[in-house]
Amino acid sequence: MRMKNFYDVTLRDGNHAIRHSLSPDFVKRYCSTASESDVWAVEVGHGNGLGASSYLVGESKYSDYELLEAARNSLNLGGPKLAVHTIPGFATVKRDLIPAIDLGVEIFRVATHVSEASVAKRHIEYLANKEVIVHGVLMMSHMIDIRGLIHQIKLMESYGATAIILMDSAGYFLPVDVEDRVKAIKLETEVSLGFHAHNNLGVAVSNAETAIKFGAEIIDGASMGFGAGAGNAQLENILATRLRLGDEIDIAPYLRMSLLVEEGFMDNLPRTTSSSTQSGLSGVFSGYAPQVKQISAELGLDVNILWDELGKRKLVAGQESMIREVAQDLMNL
Amino acid sequence: MIHTEREMWNSQVDRIKVAIIGTGNIGADLCERMLLDPEFEVVSLIGRRSNSPGLMRFKGRIKYLMSEGIEDLRKIISEVDGVFDATSAHAHFTHWEIAKSAEKWMIDLTPSKIGTPIVPQLINELPFMSMHGAGSQNFSMVSCGGQSGAPLAYALSNNSQNILKLELSSSIAALSAGTATRDNIDQYIDSTENLLSKVSGAPQVKTILVLNPSEPPVMMRTTVTLEAESIDLEEARVQLNDIVKEVKKYVPGYEVAVQPYSPKPGLVSATVKVRGAGYFLPSYAGNLDIINAAAVQTAKIHTTKSRLVRKDK
Repeated sequence: MRMKNFYDVTLRDGNHAIRHSLSPDFVKRYCSTASESDVWAVEVGHGNGLGASSYLVGESKYSDYELLEAARNSLNLGGPKLAVHTIPGFATVKRDLIPAIDLGVEIFRVATHVSEASVAKRHIEYLANKEVIVHGVLMMSHMIDIRGLIHQIKLMESYGATAIILMDSAGYFLPVDVEDRVKAIKLETEVSLGFHAHNNLGVAVSNAETAIKFGAEIIDGASMGFGAGAGNAQLENILATRLRLGDEIDIAPYLRMSLLVEEGFMDNLPRTTSSSTQSGLSGVFSGYAPQVKQISAELGLDVNILWDELGKRKLVAGQESMIREVAQDLMNL
Repeated sequence: MIHTEREMWNSQVDRIKVAIIGTGNIGADLCERMLLDPEFEVVSLIGRRSNSPGLMRFKGRIKYLMSEGIEDLRKIISEVDGVFDATSAHAHFTHWEIAKSAEKWMIDLTPSKIGTPIVPQLINELPFMSMHGAGSQNFSMVSCGGQSGAPLAYALSNNSQNILKLELSSSIAALSAGTATRDNIDQYIDSTENLLSKVSGAPQVKTILVLNPSEPPVMMRTTVTLEAESIDLEEARVQLNDIVKEVKKYVPGYEVAVQPYSPKPGLVSATVKVRGAGYFLPSYAGNLDIINAAAVQTAKIHTTKSRLVRKDK
């Protein structure tokens, strides 16, 4: 019996690590292997979700639909559910959500910046009336106090989301931060809660385990930690931790999934580096890493000074075009 | 002295008589703006609740403060030259019926897409923004992303050959995005993309909107990126800066934040930022300021044209 819903973001968040170049062929191989595991869901797509392929955040090499179709055809029915991440402002109901429903996507995670849940109202309401599972995601969840966080969770719930996922998009949280939040939310709401960690400070697996310990029902992870910036909580290590703590888990398929990623993306596996540590401490969105690296190299600017300034200016996900402006300001250009 | 001269001048020219329907942030800002502008006479502000803060604010400053919505619009329509609609796309359909049958012009600040999309600075450049000056016409202000990005899209596309794709992304202060913006985010994207494909001729367009909640609130920024077979970067820079100078005449806080540059071969990108003029709304609400400034400017241009048409007759 599985105690928790493990949610695999490898084929979505991992797309950040390879500038959104994930191929349908890899998706097929990965999904076939994932079908042998008891993972609850597999999320697929551009790193910023449905309809996000763009100059701003990076163009997908293959369309959302090529990737989703490859996944749909390779996931066993009754096996892991097919899931997508989607951000209003990038995706629209008509252009992106309806075709994804038609394609057989089973879980929609509608995401907003942590203080802006109301932007998701119409999209969540629309999906709640369809035969799909709709969850709400609060990104950059370190950028609000606990009171504010609970308010935003209740908003998303009121629109019809049946679970809410907190994303530590910047990899800023320590286990104690996760404990404080999960405890408070569980005390004040009835909501099913998910947690999504990033490894900028090297504590992603501990953060995921802390979320489980205090009652989160959905835990995100990625094979080999394949994700934006320093990567996500490593899925196979979350499961190994659970195994050591006494859960009954068949870890073998997870290790095969991990090996597929390790061998497939040898040169792009995420690591906790000096730059990602600074980005975590500055509380900046992990997905900015490639642009920050590129622009600071182009202008001859210290990458850590740029991270620090981006943190001070409180940029949110999706403001990639400001990185250059901020860098130019720092250089007095 | 100056005061008297202005009053003399006012009495000599025909002021543009207008009604504003909608008393939210947009309506109130429009009202303040036109009360300060000697070319306009705000005859009526129409809301739906007699005690709404939007109406109360203008007590004693406007001839007809009304609260019966559509019914009041019918009553007042013969006394005005045109109407500014700052309500919702849904309500706009009925309002437009009333204005049309009374042969009045209407400026639509909702995302209804009924009217001719107008960006004041581009009227003379783009035939689809036709302003014939005769009869009743409906002008759509499209969206803040459209108003701030169309001049960029025009300057970049006008200096490119064989355009493949165009993308506009805006970030705005979360505080400046009310319920209507949030609820209509898909319509915002749709109407902005419609304008961009007309302005640039690009076969593929994309619009992105990001809300930023940071304190102090951020200024609106709009980035346009275009992909084409060839781009004359120097000419695009020159033309953009010329256009920005002109836009600044009606939106003083409009400026280039990142000059056109090529992020990689075949691509050109530039960013503008918009600081609001602060009539009623705070200065971070450049997104609301630019759409209202465009609305007022459109009314002026249309009036000038229609007066010329009348003289010709």
